[in-house]
Amino acid sequence: MSEVLLKVQNLCKSFFNVRVLRDVGFELRRGAVLGLVGENGSGKSTTMNIIGGVLAKDEGLIELDGRSIAPTNSRDAQALGIAFIHQELSLFPNLSVEENLFLDHFPRLTSALPFIDRRKLRELARKALELVDLKVAPQTPVLRLPPGERQLVEIAKALSRQARLIIFDEPTTSLTAREAERLFEIIRRLRAQGISVIYISHILGDVMRLCDDIVVLRDGQVVASEPRVNFTIERLVTLMVGRTIDQLFPERAPVSGPRRAALTVRGVSQPGVVKDISFDLNLGEVLGVSGLMGSGRSELARILFGLDPYSDGEICVGDTRLVPLSPRSAMDRGMAFLTENRRGEGLMMEASIADNIVLPSLIEQSHGFAHFLRPAQLSGVARGVAARVQVNAKTIDRTAVRMLSGGNQQKVVIGKWLLRAPSIFILDEPTRGIDVGAKYEVYKIINEMVEGGAAILLISSEIEELIGMADRIMVMGRGEVRSFCERANFDRETLLSAALWD
Amino acid sequence: MNRLNTHTLYALALRLAPLSLFAALFIAFGLLSDRFLSLANFRNILTQSAHVAVMAIGMTFVLLVRGVDLSVGSVMYLVAVVMGLYLTGLPLVLQIPIILMIGAIFGAVNAWFVTRLRIAAFIVTLATLFIGRGLALYFSETKMVFQSDAVQTLGRSSFMGVPWAIWIAAVVAAAAWVTLTQTPYGRQLYAVGADLESAAKAGIRVKPIVFSVFCICGACAAVGALISASEVGAAAATFGYQMEFPVIAAAVLGGTSLFGGRGGVFGSIFGAALVQTTENGLVMLNANPYLYPLVNSLIIFVAAFVDGRRRVLTERLEQRKIRTEA
Amino acid sequence: MTEVGNVLTNSSGETLSRPAQALRWLFFSDYLVLALTFVYVGALWPFVPEIVSLSNLVDIFLQVLPLFIAALGVMIVLMVAQIDLSATSIMAMGCVVGASIMTSEGGYLAGSPIAAAAAIGAFIAIGLLIGLLNGVCTAVFEMPSFLVTLTTMMFFSGSAVWYTDSGSSIGSLPSAFLALGYGGIGGLPYAAIITVALAVAVHVGLTRTVFGRWLQAVGLNPSAAAISGVPVRRVVIGAFMFSGLLSSLAAIIYTARLEAGTPILGQRILLDMIGAAVIGGVSLFGGKGKVIGVLFGVLFLSVVDNGLQLLGLSLSSVYAIKGGVILFAAVTDAVRHNLMARG
Repeated sequence: MSEVLLKVQNLCKSFFNVRVLRDVGFELRRGAVLGLVGENGSGKSTTMNIIGGVLAKDEGLIELDGRSIAPTNSRDAQALGIAFIHQELSLFPNLSVEENLFLDHFPRLTSALPFIDRRKLRELARKALELVDLKVAPQTPVLRLPPGERQLVEIAKALSRQARLIIFDEPTTSLTAREAERLFEIIRRLRAQGISVIYISHILGDVMRLCDDIVVLRDGQVVASEPRVNFTIERLVTLMVGRTIDQLFPERAPVSGPRRAALTVRGVSQPGVVKDISFDLNLGEVLGVSGLMGSGRSELARILFGLDPYSDGEICVGDTRLVPLSPRSAMDRGMAFLTENRRGEGLMMEASIADNIVLPSLIEQSHGFAHFLRPAQLSGVARGVAARVQVNAKTIDRTAVRMLSGGNQQKVVIGKWLLRAPSIFILDEPTRGIDVGAKYEVYKIINEMVEGGAAILLISSEIEELIGMADRIMVMGRGEVRSFCERANFDRETLLSAALWD
Repeated sequence: MNRLNTHTLYALALRLAPLSLFAALFIAFGLLSDRFLSLANFRNILTQSAHVAVMAIGMTFVLLVRGVDLSVGSVMYLVAVVMGLYLTGLPLVLQIPIILMIGAIFGAVNAWFVTRLRIAAFIVTLATLFIGRGLALYFSETKMVFQSDAVQTLGRSSFMGVPWAIWIAAVVAAAAWVTLTQTPYGRQLYAVGADLESAAKAGIRVKPIVFSVFCICGACAAVGALISASEVGAAAATFGYQMEFPVIAAAVLGGTSLFGGRGGVFGSIFGAALVQTTENGLVMLNANPYLYPLVNSLIIFVAAFVDGRRRVLTERLEQRKIRTEA
Repeated sequence: MTEVGNVLTNSSGETLSRPAQALRWLFFSDYLVLALTFVYVGALWPFVPEIVSLSNLVDIFLQVLPLFIAALGVMIVLMVAQIDLSATSIMAMGCVVGASIMTSEGGYLAGSPIAAAAAIGAFIAIGLLIGLLNGVCTAVFEMPSFLVTLTTMMFFSGSAVWYTDSGSSIGSLPSAFLALGYGGIGGLPYAAIITVALAVAVHVGLTRTVFGRWLQAVGLNPSAAAISGVPVRRVVIGAFMFSGLLSSLAAIIYTARLEAGTPILGQRILLDMIGAAVIGGVSLFGGKGKVIGVLFGVLFLSVVDNGLQLLGLSLSSVYAIKGGVILFAAVTDAVRHNLMARG
């Protein structure tokens, strides 16, 4: 038995001809905790999904215990002793803890008959729960457990299946500080028992405290793979951000004149979601919003656009307070909202490009008492917008949005809002999942709007993008505003640490 | 904290709604009719609920995986017709497995369309509702179909002082309870109902499970036909007509969700008793028979309303929290 | 079925032969149903030559009219990915209430010159109210629409029977009202004029008004529609009310033809309505529906119905066959949907 449990070599993966992993390689020792860090889109999740059997690799070698493996689904991976604990837990809330633990291999009374041996089940469950130090009755429904304890159940499940390698993907995002501490205690205990752990997190402080070795990924490549003692948080940040890939951001003409607030937010709170959010968004500026997934940034955007409720505070557009706030009232005040979930909430995938573009503007384009529409007028308008955002498609009246590339789909979403000439545009991850060329075009459109005097709220997990585009950056964490940063003081590392520090 | 308490109270109120409805009906009927509150009548209600209970148990299996079966009334009629026309020469012990097969095969047809072609269960079973009844009417030529002596005796006699109808319902209930709570299949069924995709990811064989519940529901409808036909002694052209209503109502009133993943055997039996008590009470009061469907539909409405509210509530509680307020 | 099977297997291959291509086009087009109608008539012709006689065609034509109106209502609700099973009860309820207002045998407005107009108002009001109830339960209380409308169907069918106190029918309707049934102007039946006007109105409404586009958007993606400022709940409620309105208009024509108000009006046509809409290419998955498709669907079902009657089949077989037709339509819809999704 060698000391190395998992060995990854020359792992490559492309999606739609875009390379997301290039020659990724690292080693994981038995009974060690390996931290995997990198910005969003650096390839962490893809790497782990390949090891966990969710995705197939294009090229490369994965060796577990010296044997080459290629799991094709999560069951395969499980059988090999690999457990993958996702950010979204896969427990069934309507079943009890013990049933969740042994759902696909219940102990039976006799092997011939399909009856569950309840006593043995409880005993096994109790043992599994002891491993993670969780003191709940095995028959408690999962519904009643707080998120932290559910996570522990998931770990117990992995352990009860003799997992030799457990992958954690951002395990602490929905945990309280105390629950997280308990989780770390358990991970240390696993290590002592000889189980190997891969720990993916944005929270670098945790990674430094917990891990024996750290692998840093950037743009699908390993930029460092060393024992923890060689790192400091500052060095990690520098490695993650890198200096080589300075993206091109189009120039923007400065907007002169005094600052005028387009959107004023004061003390907006909603229990369990955001707390005491206050800021001004001025005409002619881009306000960047930085923060991790689950920091409340997307939730804030939904509240601002009237999609979700808020219990306290006020939201004013210009001088008028918007009550009650609904998407329609927000739109009538010149607001627009590009959601982070393009397929689920941004587009009607089966409908044509033109139908999608005109949807928010139908009332404005209609005539007469019954809001009649003129098809020729609508397709003319849609064609104008499609040309402005440069959607590449032959017939915008007939091509279904489903057939377009991600970048073109995003341009359609932007186009549908441009048609309304919004004065306040909330953009949630506008460049997620689109290629570099399309990104550049999206940035150009944003700049044009700002030069025309519009106010932009740009939410992004890419620090580079915020630095390249924003005039000011607001950092969020745990549903609160952490800090503001003016353009003159932009510094990648401070920004990144402000968002990542917990 | 305050918020949580109102939530818990609200959830409790929703949970108790069917029970309170039952109590209210009970008191109302008791006050209005002097014959309602008697031992003989309770025995009557129980016997009359047997076939609804059995069918509601079958429906529970389907509802648990987020399906629905509107064709149960037609299966019931089809089985009664086949039994009365073609199986009269056979002893009961042979008739029973044959009708179970008929019910299960009918369910398998529903299941095939739902699982293979991914057509919404309500539209498939709405179509088979008409096909099944049409087929049965073709056999019976819309005439009254009389049952064999063996079947009729079953309806009249009892064992250890308890009518056979109740024994049969009890056996079905016990088998269903064991299946749902004491076998891996049963627990996996709940997982499928909670989240089909996660269940598939967790390595559960989803399709066979969804397929099987429709067969079980069909077989239960066949048992319901046996009980009901043995009591009536014959099947008219309206036998089992619109039975899907009381059956779905019984299951949902018993706490089985239309949105899958929640429910159980005992709840459905309680629901059947509630539905049948209403009907019995209306008879006792000599109410206009045209009122029955009105009352029945109101009960279903209440059940569906409570179920919908409860789902909204659990969804809200299940939402991921970003921050935990101190 | 073999043809469908061929299209399926060929769809994954790159090269399609010309006939296969034509079949594939037909399978996805609105005209599939029309073609099937002709095939059906052609197949039955040798056995029942009277199927193409003028009087029979006129019969079919008259039969199509009210069913078409009702099926358009079903289509509008299917557009928002919901279903309305309550139409027949709206018809029954409207029919008995309307008749009881205008009948000369003790009606509330017996003999009054506005009796017929008031009755028509009652029909329409009942349709809109039941539609409102369905819509509110579905959109606001988030109850599954099939169960809501099954319940309202049962409740109001029962109410109609209860209202007439035994299911007896109410005759002696004013002649001004009866004219809507078979009367006409210049050889054109009023029913035909009303139907054509409604069909044009629905077509224009769907394709050339904001409401029509909103129906489509809500059916295709309710979340995207909400974010684009579409008042989703109001659109769903509106769809149910529209459906109720169309059902009540169909009921007016049916009642005028029956010359009586009866609580069993429309009981038999639930399947025909849904079947016609689904077979006419209205997707159960929402967002897709055309007036012309529904017209073909209604035509197809009416011709099937007529042919079966000419063949002398019993009512029970007609029942079973219609159920089969619905299932076939749903299968076609699912196959189309799955093929499209694979794209």
